[in-house]
Amino acid sequence: MQPKRILKYVGALSVAALAFTACGGGDDAAGGSADGEMVINAHGTEPQNPLVPTNTNEVGGGHIVDAIFAGLVSYATDGSTEMEVAESIESEDNLTWTIKLKDGWTFSDGTPVTANSFVDAWNYGANPDNAQLNAYFFNPIEGTDEEGNSTDGETLSGLEVVDDLTFEVTLKEPASDFPDRLGYSAYFPLPEVAFEDMEAFGEKPVSNGPYVLEEWNHDVEAVLSTNPDYEGNRTPQNDGLIFKFYTDPDAAYTDVQSGVVDVMDQVPPSAISTFQDDDSIQAFAEPGSVNGTITIPSRLEHFGDDEEGQLRRQAISKAIDREAVTSTIFDDTYTPATDFSSPLMPDFTEDVEGADVLEFDADEAKELWAQADEINEFTGSFELSYNADGAGNREWVEAVTNQIRENLEIEAEPNAFAAFAEFRELITNRELDTAFRTGWQPDYPSVYNYIAPTFGTGAGANDGDYSNPDFDQALREAAAAEDDATRAEHLADAQAILMEDLPAIPLWNRDAIAIAAQGVEGVQVNWQNQPEYYLVTK
Amino acid sequence: MWRYIVRRLLQTIPVILGATLLIYALVFLQPGDPIVALFGEKPVSEAARAQLEAQYNLDKPFIVQWLLFLKGALVGDFGTSYSGQPVSDLIARSLPVTFQLAFMAMIIEAILGVVAGFYAGLRRGHIFDSTMLVVSLVVIAIPIFVLGFALQLIFGVQLQWVPPTVGSATTFTNLLLPAVVLGLVSFAYVLRLTRTSVIENLTADHVRTARAHGVPDGVVNRRHVLRNSLIPVVTFLGADLGALMAGAVVTEGIFNINGIGNLAYQAILRGENPTVVSVVTIMVLIYVVASLLVDLLYAALDPRIRYA
Repeated sequence: MQPKRILKYVGALSVAALAFTACGGGDDAAGGSADGEMVINAHGTEPQNPLVPTNTNEVGGGHIVDAIFAGLVSYATDGSTEMEVAESIESEDNLTWTIKLKDGWTFSDGTPVTANSFVDAWNYGANPDNAQLNAYFFNPIEGTDEEGNSTDGETLSGLEVVDDLTFEVTLKEPASDFPDRLGYSAYFPLPEVAFEDMEAFGEKPVSNGPYVLEEWNHDVEAVLSTNPDYEGNRTPQNDGLIFKFYTDPDAAYTDVQSGVVDVMDQVPPSAISTFQDDDSIQAFAEPGSVNGTITIPSRLEHFGDDEEGQLRRQAISKAIDREAVTSTIFDDTYTPATDFSSPLMPDFTEDVEGADVLEFDADEAKELWAQADEINEFTGSFELSYNADGAGNREWVEAVTNQIRENLEIEAEPNAFAAFAEFRELITNRELDTAFRTGWQPDYPSVYNYIAPTFGTGAGANDGDYSNPDFDQALREAAAAEDDATRAEHLADAQAILMEDLPAIPLWNRDAIAIAAQGVEGVQVNWQNQPEYYLVTK
Repeated sequence: MWRYIVRRLLQTIPVILGATLLIYALVFLQPGDPIVALFGEKPVSEAARAQLEAQYNLDKPFIVQWLLFLKGALVGDFGTSYSGQPVSDLIARSLPVTFQLAFMAMIIEAILGVVAGFYAGLRRGHIFDSTMLVVSLVVIAIPIFVLGFALQLIFGVQLQWVPPTVGSATTFTNLLLPAVVLGLVSFAYVLRLTRTSVIENLTADHVRTARAHGVPDGVVNRRHVLRNSLIPVVTFLGADLGALMAGAVVTEGIFNINGIGNLAYQAILRGENPTVVSVVTIMVLIYVVASLLVDLLYAALDPRIRYA
């Protein structure tokens, strides 16, 4: 009698387990390829915010927003700008822009894309009451503050609807590259229905891009189908996309190896030294657009806005053997920097004056440092702060501080912060009294976007509080330039000033890396370091 | 019996209060500004910051934040995540998956552990016992993520017996490998525990008496040895349910399972305090209920224990 009772309990437990397994069964999502359609499975991460273009500032949501919306312009794989919804974007003074839309564009609910679709979306994005994470992009438009939020309530004074297909944008300062900026997701249009209930809209957006969102299955996947009404530049070569969400890139890498995932936009640190020789996948690695820099705020003792500071910055730059770090620590998946931007930018030039300051030369570094010591003897230690929650940060910071210590014969050490949030907070509040790591990912393809927001006097991302009137003047001239060639010239001039002052020391560009399963074709990595998902086939 | 249950349930109230307060304090003390992190490297205007702080109660002192959380939690409202979804929805989606995984792991470890431990105990010092000793030591010594990646590579990528990751399809077969990985370490403990306690009981007075009465060996072993040996094992399994749910963080990451562990991990990374605290609260609840069930099971297993 007694043993039976034990068995009963065990039995009850297994029945419970079976009941649970039964609940989970039945939704075996094979990827939708059963009916012969070519649906591409891509690695993704759960979007951190609702899918509203002005509120999506991380890659997980960015993949989806870029695929389902179309803006005034679109970017080709090489970073050149092409008109998409816009018919023309013109200005005589680079200050007031007249934007004409093509007729016939519609959202997936059938409503037309009008001038109001853009103006209302931008007003919404800039309104501080909506606290949109991409508000910063509206900063050039008249009626916004430095952070891009509107200063006069719900509408920006710089936006004016002329008729259904025309609107005017007035900027605070001339910007000849304004049309190039308009392909970023913050400038995408929104349909009327969005403003009725933005929360519901963010859950299932109505959009006008190459794809439409069929289903956002939270934490699992986002299913996108092609938009039959789309007639823009990015015609999908496949029949749909499924972004499968992962929390651990290692798991996704395993799935690429076994063909469950077709294309992945990154490689986990554990596979970085092996993925290019891995026969079970296809590897793609090219110089990328994300750069890494060391910012030395001018408020630091010995690094001020004077000759001593300039000499020391140059000495530190020359004391760093970038090649050694990119090859040993990053396994050649980073490329040493030759300027403040990236070779992927359409206006990139190889001959910026003074760029040799980025070349390793231990003897000259020591000499420059000695010259600075003659002005004012260096005491203490050179500290480099970083956030340890970013993969690979600790390794390169240690290597770079070692190089500085050895080559300049001074004290140099890493200063770690556990979390990015804490690190950024100290930087933003100007409470970090050391050099620190910085980096930039361009919002639109132009050298201007690398140097204006980061080094312009008082600019939003000028973490080191750099200020040089000559540099500001060169930026203004670039912004007001008549044509691309003069613009590039002025930008090269501006960079030459930076090479001398080194408000930040360029280190390298992270390579654009993608991997794909065997048999997948058409993988091209664009200037944003993302695979062009619409071109992928299998 | 009922009075005992009610008393135990009442005792959980201070436990929950203390646990949430502790978690809230820890999350609050965590350095860094969540709003700055939200905006990445872009500047934040004062107006937008004030708006977001008000929305997530970040502008209030932490004790007030905690009380507001408790107020909401009482009616099942755990707040919303930064992506605008109710945290209760997130939990409702991920908890069943983790339950399923943890239960499968527990069944596997309990059945294998008890059976292997029982025979190892009966044949103490024999080849089976020694083999099991080595196996359990190896399993305990290897970290769970190493086991996870190794088994995933062998059975998922190379042999292709099971899919390497689970994703949306949380079927029994897909979860089998993760459940084995999750249960392996505890399997070793269950095995050792059962074995030790079987050896102890083999020399107990009542077992000797039964044998002296001429009761067949098999019956003695099952009825008198095994049953009494299970008491410490059941305690362990009850407490282990909580550990399994917490240990699921690693396993769920490796096999891409959208369970509560992954949810907690993501929320911690993003600094989403409401989600972190809610998930931990749910875990504390599960732990408390599991230990209550264990205590009640005692009475069923051991006639000497009675709750009044």
